[in-house]
Amino acid sequence: MKKLRSLLIEIVLIICLLFLGIVWLEKSSGMSDAKVVNIYNWGDYIDPKLITKFEKETGYKVNYETFDSNEAMLTKIRQGGTSYDVAVPSDYMIQKMRKEKLLLPLDHSKLPNLKYIAPQFMNLAFDPKNKYSVPYFWGTLGIVYNDKAYQASEFKSWNDLWDAKFKNKIMFIDGAREFMGIGLASLGYSLNSKSDAQLNEAYEKLKALTPNAKAIVSDEIKTYMANEESSVAVTFSGEAADMMAKNSHLHYVIPEGGTNLWFDNLVIPKTAKNKKGAYAFINFMLDSKNAAQNTKYIGYSTPNQGAMKYLPKAITSNRAFYPTVAQIKQMEIYEDLGSKYLEKYNDLFLELKMYRK
Amino acid sequence: MQKSKFSWANIYLVCVFIFLYLPIFYLIFYSFNAGETMNSFTGFSLHHFSELFSDTHLVIILLNTFLLAFLSALIATFIGIFGALFIYYLKRRSHRNTLLSLNNILIVSPDVTIGASFLILFITLGTLFSGFSLGFWTVLLAHISFSVPIVVLMILPKLQEMNDSMITAGYDLGANERQILKNIILPYLSPGIIAGYFMAFTYSLDDFAVTFFVTGNGFTTLSVEIYSRARRGVSLEINALSTLVFLFALVLVVGYYYISKDNQGRSKKKKRGVLR
Repeated sequence: MKKLRSLLIEIVLIICLLFLGIVWLEKSSGMSDAKVVNIYNWGDYIDPKLITKFEKETGYKVNYETFDSNEAMLTKIRQGGTSYDVAVPSDYMIQKMRKEKLLLPLDHSKLPNLKYIAPQFMNLAFDPKNKYSVPYFWGTLGIVYNDKAYQASEFKSWNDLWDAKFKNKIMFIDGAREFMGIGLASLGYSLNSKSDAQLNEAYEKLKALTPNAKAIVSDEIKTYMANEESSVAVTFSGEAADMMAKNSHLHYVIPEGGTNLWFDNLVIPKTAKNKKGAYAFINFMLDSKNAAQNTKYIGYSTPNQGAMKYLPKAITSNRAFYPTVAQIKQMEIYEDLGSKYLEKYNDLFLELKMYRK
Repeated sequence: MQKSKFSWANIYLVCVFIFLYLPIFYLIFYSFNAGETMNSFTGFSLHHFSELFSDTHLVIILLNTFLLAFLSALIATFIGIFGALFIYYLKRRSHRNTLLSLNNILIVSPDVTIGASFLILFITLGTLFSGFSLGFWTVLLAHISFSVPIVVLMILPKLQEMNDSMITAGYDLGANERQILKNIILPYLSPGIIAGYFMAFTYSLDDFAVTFFVTGNGFTTLSVEIYSRARRGVSLEINALSTLVFLFALVLVVGYYYISKDNQGRSKKKKRGVLR
């Protein structure tokens, strides 16, 4: 009994100490203040120094939380019980959230820095007139290759991937829309195709591509490519930038004939409690200098025109990451397909994945 | 038996331990890397540790995780002790078995199911009572409730081992129920209680699925945070953190060893005393 009692006292003491420690830390970092902005973002998707700078400039305190998929974020916001002031969904998710009335319309007069966003990235199909969202980063789907094994000329169009020399060599990003998209784009169809005939044609064509697939994986591609366990992969430009920073032999190309163009966007969810803080934060991130600093840290492409002049030429002149306006016009943004066709894409992809040759 | 005898069993044992510990040591090794990735070791440096401690957000999460584990295990142990006593003292065998099975179902059922059902419960509560939102308290409640069955299971065998005549003797000598509980039952159960506490503690510490469901804004635990950070590749800061948590676990195990050894030593001494 004596020992139980002394253990109990020790544990209670530890709990008190931990509690005091948390209170002290929160106070010293100002988290317990009323002026808190809750940011809900992808993991490691902002330069932490910018958060500190924002806190210093505006006096707000940032509570930064992270999610790992659009769907996880949607669930958390839809369920309620949370009060995120700013969230960062991707394009098709905005369409979905808009339909479910989970977003607050933006008052553009409170976002003077919106003028820095390049016109070609404004007023996009997923959010006409940017009523609910402001683009944060954008990118494409393309091919990463290692120059020890291949050259850029070998990846002119998506059709080149069918070449027999790639047998069991290519890594694909694990996504139904991405993989089906390769088939559709190679046939010249829309990535948002809702025609059964086109989808079946793409499916038949992709069947012949599966022998070339070394693996269909997600985040691991980065490590595999950087460690040279594979020399060619189909992935997003943002991921590619990460790999290239780690291994200088890697290069990113966008095949001709259209590809996916994606956007991650800043929005104010309906659950927001500190709208003023949310506007301040979005406006702060739109500032050219801040956007440039963030771009340098993340490595994705920024839609911020004003930021270009603060970025090194080597970045902004790289056509793989900043394609010309004409090239961008060829690309397509994913649209919300509706549950019926989303299921169809998923089913076809699953069949391709499971019955690989 | 000779000590240095070659045996296949020993080789097997070593292999198993290598399999189990090598990944952890690999992770720990790279937390001292001067470079930024796990691709190559470029030199010894502690800068990931200093980075870790300057990241207040992460330190708060770390403290939160431990606070949650200590507190939920404590409350779960209290509830578990009385739960075990209740099950043990049920008169009818069929009732006892039913309750025990209900208890076991909770241990067996997947975390995802538990997490999802808690989420539904808390959301419903949230709509009924305004001001009830997801956060520390919901995670604490969830952790307590999935730890209780484990504590019960750790204590029950000790209770069944206990010699009931000790209690009868206590009553004969005029002890009241409180004294019986305090002076006979609890001391006898203490190894089970301590084991139960540590089990509940580790369950809470490494739980991911349930926490992931029931956590709200303003509160995350280590496992959830690491999971969402890992999306953009695990930074070595996480390695540094894992190293510290591993060391802490080591301290905990050693501490537990000494507590239980102390126990045995004491009971041996007592036995010796009786023999004399």
